[in-house]
Amino acid sequence: MLNSERSPLKGKRVQLMATCLCDAFYDDVAAATVEVLEHLGVEVVFPEGQTCCGQPAFNGGDWIASRKVVRHTVQTFAGEDPVVVPSGSCAAMLFHGAGLEFENEPDAPAVAALGRRTWELADYLVNGLGVKTWSGRYEATIAFHRSCHSRGTKSSEAALTLLQAVPGVRLVEFGEGEQCCGFGGTFSVSFPNISAAMGNLKLDHVRAAQPDVFVSGDMSCMMHLGGLAAKEGKPIKTQHLAQVLRDALKGGAR
Amino acid sequence: MRFQPIDQFAAGLPADKRASVYQSTKTTHEKRTKLLFDQFTDPNRLRQLAGEIKQHALENLDTYLPKVEAKLKANGAQVHWASTGEAACQKVLEIMQARGATKMVKSKTMVSEEIELAKFLKPHGIEALETDLGEFIIQIDDDHPSHIVRPIIHKNRREIAQSFEREGLGAYNDDPETITRRARHFLRHKYLAADVGLTGANFVSAESGRIVLVTNEGNSRFCLAATKVHIALIGIEKIVPRDRDLGLLLNLLGRSGTAQDLTVYTEFINGPKSTAQPDGPEEMHVIFLDNGRTDVLASDCREILRCIRCGACLNVCPVYRQASGHAYRSVYPGPVGAVLSPLLMGGKFAQKADLPKASSLCGACHEVCPVNIPIPDLLLRLRNRAKEENVPSPGTPPMGAWALMASQPTAWKAALLGGKLLDYVPTKLIPVPALQAWSAQRALPAWRGGEFRKWMKQRKR
Amino acid sequence: MSDDREAILSRVRGALAPLHERAPLPVYDSEIAVMRSLIAGRDLAELFAERLKRVGGLTFTSPAELVAHLQAGQWRHGYCDPVLWPVLAPHFGPDFTVELTFDETRVDDYAFGITRAAAAIAESGTIILDDASTSRRLAALAPWVHVAVLARGTIFSDVTQAVAALGADRNVVWCTGPSKTADVEGILIEGVHGPGAQIALLV
Repeated sequence: MLNSERSPLKGKRVQLMATCLCDAFYDDVAAATVEVLEHLGVEVVFPEGQTCCGQPAFNGGDWIASRKVVRHTVQTFAGEDPVVVPSGSCAAMLFHGAGLEFENEPDAPAVAALGRRTWELADYLVNGLGVKTWSGRYEATIAFHRSCHSRGTKSSEAALTLLQAVPGVRLVEFGEGEQCCGFGGTFSVSFPNISAAMGNLKLDHVRAAQPDVFVSGDMSCMMHLGGLAAKEGKPIKTQHLAQVLRDALKGGAR
Repeated sequence: MRFQPIDQFAAGLPADKRASVYQSTKTTHEKRTKLLFDQFTDPNRLRQLAGEIKQHALENLDTYLPKVEAKLKANGAQVHWASTGEAACQKVLEIMQARGATKMVKSKTMVSEEIELAKFLKPHGIEALETDLGEFIIQIDDDHPSHIVRPIIHKNRREIAQSFEREGLGAYNDDPETITRRARHFLRHKYLAADVGLTGANFVSAESGRIVLVTNEGNSRFCLAATKVHIALIGIEKIVPRDRDLGLLLNLLGRSGTAQDLTVYTEFINGPKSTAQPDGPEEMHVIFLDNGRTDVLASDCREILRCIRCGACLNVCPVYRQASGHAYRSVYPGPVGAVLSPLLMGGKFAQKADLPKASSLCGACHEVCPVNIPIPDLLLRLRNRAKEENVPSPGTPPMGAWALMASQPTAWKAALLGGKLLDYVPTKLIPVPALQAWSAQRALPAWRGGEFRKWMKQRKR
Repeated sequence: MSDDREAILSRVRGALAPLHERAPLPVYDSEIAVMRSLIAGRDLAELFAERLKRVGGLTFTSPAELVAHLQAGQWRHGYCDPVLWPVLAPHFGPDFTVELTFDETRVDDYAFGITRAAAAIAESGTIILDDASTSRRLAALAPWVHVAVLARGTIFSDVTQAVAALGADRNVVWCTGPSKTADVEGILIEGVHGPGAQIALLV
């Protein structure tokens, strides 16, 4: 449903888009992404000039501001190498959202070209590299949150394929898995009541499933849900898929 | 106003109302999904096809409208056109007055809500009675529907029983079956006494001029069995190219709206009654209504006109589930309403420019839409339009400074280090509204700005 | 009003003029919307009865069964299409009052109405009525029990087939089970305006 058509892959060198959230809060997720990719023999290049995918302003309706950031991103991630992002949301921004706001812009083709070589991490691992098995061990019961911006893409299925492949991982389902966590970027601060209510509903479902770790491919959802749980004084352990894969290689939960 | 109006409305909604809206939308959504995926190998392909069919019809309305007009006339119907809601109301009044008619029974039609027909007719001495049970209750309560398919999703049986008692429909009794029987008994005599039956249309086939109407209660059928004049009030977007397309659309409509293979009564109306049939309208009028639809057709959100009013997007929407329908201040609530309602405002777009903000852009609406409308994309386009038209947006953080920073790596890196401040200053003391709104309910993770870059540089390959 | 016609059509043309291309009408096989695995290899009358039951209706295969059911429900006063009555009359005992004209001023007198069905749809359990086969629209709608007399040979397998056969009748109505509402707290109640009991009598 999303415009997520991919160019065929050549070689095993990628550019890492760490995402602004990892840049500011979740450095370990970005580091785990690098370690996972390198474990698979992928050469990871980190363009120093990167900032953000442009989504906050895009979702907020300020497309002039957003396009400025997207143009910067297009410049920063020049070349032919695939761009790998440990976030379904930022990936979708580049292969779908940016196309929408550049529809009537002269540089739309360059934006579309970046979109075609942008991959969400799990999608890249499973559907790009063909990874179906995982080594090491990670003893944990895991609930996996299908983040909304992976709807219509292959990312959630890919993430589940990987988690199922990790020795020691037990996956548990929880209620209303198709429902949003309530983050939604600026939505979380302009609709704080609805946003928190949605988040608490999600937390109720997740807690009922009693996982050791709550895992997602998007740290934005985890920041919201983890933040709600912590504020309530009932913290939950959240991790990114990349952290689970990396920790498995290192022999278990850290 | 600190936050968005819909958020404030949701915060003030009584807990029992929220719970009942949540429960019934969730149940219908889950049944819908199970039904479609149990019965068809590729339900998503059905939705895509239906979307393509309706998009084709919309983009060829210039040929289909005259075509359907000719077919309707050939079938014996009279065809009228109304640019605005007022013009449509006026036309209905003329038709009734020309026949000395004073009593109308109405089948459920969102279009008549949109143009406030009953309110218009009342001072002219015309009773326009709603016959759908939910709409009837809305009418006696002088209330507004809060869901496209389930107008009284916001009311409980006790409130309904009180209304019935007040209207002289029997002593207080809140048993749903008793409520329904009382309405049955009261309304059937109203149908039989009425002069005119007014309906909408779910679809009109350009190929045959066939009007398709679906109801579960059988009220449109009763309108068309008891009265002698049929007026069908139809938005110009209801046209489908061919009869065969109706099969696909009907299969999707019942399942998407109410989790039924087919809605109970599906009527195909090909003109006034046949001469041999004793019951039903001898005269049929079709009023095609624009009322802003051509503006929507001209916009970059024309896909919203594909909508077949099934309500599936309301049922799945986490925001609708928390806020209920009245939060949207419009006849059309929920995700579809958040797109359609501001567009139908024409020059007064700003008054409803907040509706497209009422979404986390989760995309569940797009995923369930039987005509595959990319609702999140349309919400985003309208947010951009609101920004371009400088409509104020409470609670939305300004993005200009952020964009400057995020397009200059040096400034960005400096900010990553500066953010460290967050660890030392209590968030309550930082005068950024977005941060305040975040922190009221959620903890912020520890600031780790620049740490990954450091790690990346330092590590030896 | 003719002014509004021109105004609307001109706005439509104006709205569509900037489109470089118009969305094409998709080519598709209607089979895609057919529940083939449900239908395949089934006797259509049997499947129809099964599906009608699923939506809250009943099927009888003999007039005797029908009469026993009406008796049990104490529905003793009704209307019957005069064309059908000669065949059905012998099965109705003296405690039944069956009228061959429908007087709408006494609408509440009729507990049942018997009319002819034009056809049916097995896949959905739908009874198809049209103006040609229905002696009175009201008689098939207002009484609590509606009995549609349905010829076995007229059952379509699926919705798609039935749409293809819509024909030229002025008013075709598909009835899929009894009249229903879930308006009050989502609780299903049958018999709102139309029949609370929908019966097919197969002949």
